[in-house]
Amino acid sequence: MKKNIYRPIKAVIEEVIEETPTIKTFKLKPEAPFGFAAGQFIEMTVPTVGEAPFTPSSDPGIKEKLELTVMKAGEVTAKLHTMNKGDIVGIRGPYGAGYPLDKFKGRDILIVGGGVGLAPLRSLLYNLFSGIDKYNKVVLRYGARGPKDIVYKYQIPEWSTKDKIDVMVSVDVGDETWAGNVGLVTTILDAAPVDFTKAIGIVCGPPIMMKFVTLKLLDLGFNPADIYLSMEKGMSCGLGKCGHCRIGKYYVCKDGPVFTYEQLKSERDIWS
Amino acid sequence: METYFLKNEDISKFYERINQEYDLYLPVKVKNPLKAASDSKANLPTDDYSLKKYAQESKEDFVFNDYRCIEPIKTFLTQYKEEVCNYFEESDKKGKEGRPAALCGIKNCDLFSLKVQDYVFLEGTESDPVYKARREGALIISGDCPHFKETCFCRAFDINPYPSDGFDFNFSPLNNGYLVDAASDKAKVIISSLRNVLASATLGQISGRAGKRELMLRRLDEHLIQYKIPKKERLQDIILSGYDSPIWQEQMRTCVECGGCVFMCATCHCFLLTDEAANNNAKRLRLWDGCMFNNFTRVASGANPLKLRYMRLRNRYLKKFDFFITNLGEQACCGCGRCIDVCPGKIDIRYILRRLDESRTFSENKDVGNNIKGAG
Repeated sequence: MKKNIYRPIKAVIEEVIEETPTIKTFKLKPEAPFGFAAGQFIEMTVPTVGEAPFTPSSDPGIKEKLELTVMKAGEVTAKLHTMNKGDIVGIRGPYGAGYPLDKFKGRDILIVGGGVGLAPLRSLLYNLFSGIDKYNKVVLRYGARGPKDIVYKYQIPEWSTKDKIDVMVSVDVGDETWAGNVGLVTTILDAAPVDFTKAIGIVCGPPIMMKFVTLKLLDLGFNPADIYLSMEKGMSCGLGKCGHCRIGKYYVCKDGPVFTYEQLKSERDIWS
Repeated sequence: METYFLKNEDISKFYERINQEYDLYLPVKVKNPLKAASDSKANLPTDDYSLKKYAQESKEDFVFNDYRCIEPIKTFLTQYKEEVCNYFEESDKKGKEGRPAALCGIKNCDLFSLKVQDYVFLEGTESDPVYKARREGALIISGDCPHFKETCFCRAFDINPYPSDGFDFNFSPLNNGYLVDAASDKAKVIISSLRNVLASATLGQISGRAGKRELMLRRLDEHLIQYKIPKKERLQDIILSGYDSPIWQEQMRTCVECGGCVFMCATCHCFLLTDEAANNNAKRLRLWDGCMFNNFTRVASGANPLKLRYMRLRNRYLKKFDFFITNLGEQACCGCGRCIDVCPGKIDIRYILRRLDESRTFSENKDVGNNIKGAG
């Protein structure tokens, strides 16, 4: 019998990492190898509760493991946050279009992340790190609300020491532990060491952040076709059928979730 | 295509033959007291039709429907609420689907709507196995429309009130029987076993049908003049240019968010997957969903791009007349008028399209005026 397009496969939770008070990373072992490309998303099932779309945060080169970094927001994620090592979830996918790495060759790549939006970007970073010779440089600018809201605190310092990688983190509101930049992520883009008119810009974060970062990048001289946005909608089926994730003439699940600003600029109300 | 003549008195033989292989659904007349008043004023028929499963004992109730039935054809291809899979069990329940359906009384508006439903459920990344099995198994027995309802407007979008393709059989009432077109291989096999009651259609009969069809086109076109519905070619332009039109807010004042328009719509297809516990297992249900509901685009964080009702009405029209025209090359509206019939708020798609068209024409004329002034 042909596989049922709505049925998930099993995955066991092998480890849970508490990233912030509201964000956890779940390390999963799928029952069968599960490949994906950076930027593609999956539907994750919390048994009997339901499904929600997430973009994996792990290395796309590894098919035996899958990591999801998830913020507690709705019903599915609230239940997921109570789950532990050994518990079973379901996964279905991957779906949609990821980042076209071929188009990034030889370019400066400016990656701008906000909050839990660093999750899909981490899987892209793993890709870029493993083929770093192909790119001119990778510049990461990450913004979080406060120092305790930063995800992957245990990894970011190590990234900064890599060749051709430049990392800076900013928080909206600092505290006594924070010696870094304070201010929205848009305030640390002017000084980013990239050739704005020729660079690739990659943006992922909450809609309001994506909007202002995109406007900032355009302002700095980025080409709309070189700005890649990871769009977020309430995808239910992931197959271009259920109708929940339409933006203009596109379905996010099928035509995205990664879009260039060039694709979206003539659509109305894309940030709401 | 082969065309035959079937006498009225032999029609039950045809039904019996179909019923051997299929679950046959035939139209019955149902009274609709709510609609009677307005339609009878326009001197148009006031009855409705609904598809019921064929049974020998009640066969005198079955009729040839003058126009489309209440229920759109999609109700036979996806259900309001149905299990699409269980997990994590290894295999699907076998034999759940019974015999394929034979659907009689389907009109051309519903055949048009299948272009949209097929695009959604058969094409794209993967096809939906449940839909595919039902769609491929179904025998579609369509029919000409000898009359129309007050709310019928298929001709506004160049859809004729008689089918020319997309069916297995088509019935055209003529004198004391029907001209029967057999279009598909499935239909030809059935025909071969009914030779004793079918005669090849004569030229006179085929000309007779052509005359009836022409007359019907003229009557429907005359009826539609009063609604000034924009031409198919203008739909996408007027929807996009009408994005900021006040009509959306104005028309939504009477909406009670019942969802009738989306559920009765022949082309609307949206659904939501939802999970339920079942014994030691879990099952996944596919529920019809609708973009007129408040939660349709709400995400877990609480953000909702379509939080106001007028945004949802506009979104529905953008989906029908922008998204589908771009992606499928056809509007997702077949002019069946079911959304008008069902709406307790009297929200009328014909009126909305006309208003958008008129304001577009007004602004186009204004542009022309400005250009002339500029040139002078």
